[in-house]
Amino acid sequence: MSAGQPADALSESGSQSDVAALVPVIRRFVHSRVSNEAVADDIVQETLVRMLAAAGRVEPGMVEPYAIITARNLIASMWKEQERHRRNQHRIVDLRSPESPDEGLLQQEDKGAVAEALERLSERDRRTLMAHEVAGQDTQSLAGELGVTAGAVAAQLNRSRARLRVEYLLALEPGTALTDRCRPVLFALSGGDRRRQREVDAARHLLECDLCEKLSQPLLERGQRSDGEVRIRIRADADIVLARQTAREVAARLEFSRTDLTVIATAVSEIARNVVRFTDGGEVVVELLEEPRRGVRIVARDTGPGIADVEAALVDGYSTYHGLGLGLPGARRLMDEFAVVSEMGRGTTVTMTKWRQEG
Amino acid sequence: MDTGPALVSILRQGSYLIASVHTALDDSQMVRFQQDLIEQIGQHRSRGVIIDVAALDVLDSFGSKTLRNISEMARLRGATTVIVGIQPDVAFAMVALGMSTGSVPTALDLEEGLAYLHDRVHTGPSAVTGSSLS
Ligand SMILES: [Zn+2]
Repeated sequence: MSAGQPADALSESGSQSDVAALVPVIRRFVHSRVSNEAVADDIVQETLVRMLAAAGRVEPGMVEPYAIITARNLIASMWKEQERHRRNQHRIVDLRSPESPDEGLLQQEDKGAVAEALERLSERDRRTLMAHEVAGQDTQSLAGELGVTAGAVAAQLNRSRARLRVEYLLALEPGTALTDRCRPVLFALSGGDRRRQREVDAARHLLECDLCEKLSQPLLERGQRSDGEVRIRIRADADIVLARQTAREVAARLEFSRTDLTVIATAVSEIARNVVRFTDGGEVVVELLEEPRRGVRIVARDTGPGIADVEAALVDGYSTYHGLGLGLPGARRLMDEFAVVSEMGRGTTVTMTKWRQEG
Repeated sequence: MDTGPALVSILRQGSYLIASVHTALDDSQMVRFQQDLIEQIGQHRSRGVIIDVAALDVLDSFGSKTLRNISEMARLRGATTVIVGIQPDVAFAMVALGMSTGSVPTALDLEEGLAYLHDRVHTGPSAVTGSSLS
């Protein structure tokens, strides 16, 4: 480092051009510690501004060390801010911290969204949540204050967190039109409540609503998902192969015979093809069952035109819904249980089960 | 096909074509295979076609129908088709599904398939030794 030169330059006049002579030194220092280019540039600029402001007060010969200390403090406070932010985010919203280059911008947006989401909670929910998450008050003492059991407080906190995650994500999508089904579905997903998800028919809503489909990703990523359940989006030919291979792999965990695995894969291929050929798309969900027996359940949902006469479609040779004439009765023959529910204009859900032959 | 390892290979063996499916095919790949094979039958004036499907994971309604189509189109171009290598579990599922290769003859493996073609192509249509899966 040529310590003398820029310091002398600054001490002579304190002019802006002299401070500018510090730029290479500060840049090298900052960039070796901050990997994000944009953030590093911001810190260099901020250091220079502070150097200009302090120019008259800095001892000659001390300019460069002063600049380095200033830059180091700026970096440290940036880390501290980020760390605090990450901690709070984890505690209250529990979403992954953004890692994109415009992290600073996202942080600003985040704070607004968290505030907005908190606003949408009920007064009681918000106060309890803040007391627990921010002030660190435990459920036992909260229970005493609220006159309920600690278990009830914990349940309320879980509900509030689930709602807060939803409201936070919605606050990041300002101006999006919500249907009256969106919030109940998103709350059920966010809470990881399978029974509630079935009650509000969450799976079908996700097929029909682009917004909820998009928001469901971050919600489901952190929710309690069952290992024994796999979901495959069905849109194109290749998805048919993916669906049947996935079904085979999942079912193989129950040690079905090789023949049964192929039978299951063939049935999945048939019903997934109906989704590709006759609808705008859908999904196949493969789920392992333990009760009443071990088995595999496959659900295919689509957002298609629906089938007018399901009974007729289950008979061989049915042709008004081309392909299904073969697909549905064939798949039914392959599986142990088979049910079709269809609603005109909304779509069709095929549910089929294969039980594991025990012994 | 375009990139990556070949999904299907079609080899010429004298007046026969031997087509091997190397992996699970989706519907559009199946259609492409049908087109390529029919085109080559015409190009080489092949008399016999063996399709080895041992690597197929399933033969569902579409797969079975495509094999029947290939056989029918080949017949119209003067070639006899035999399907070889249908795995026992795949055959079981085809029967349970209610599908079959219809009138398309099947044989256990490549060797049997060649023997079948040899008899049929050189001694006329009466000498059928292959079995039909139905
Ligand atoms: Zn929605």
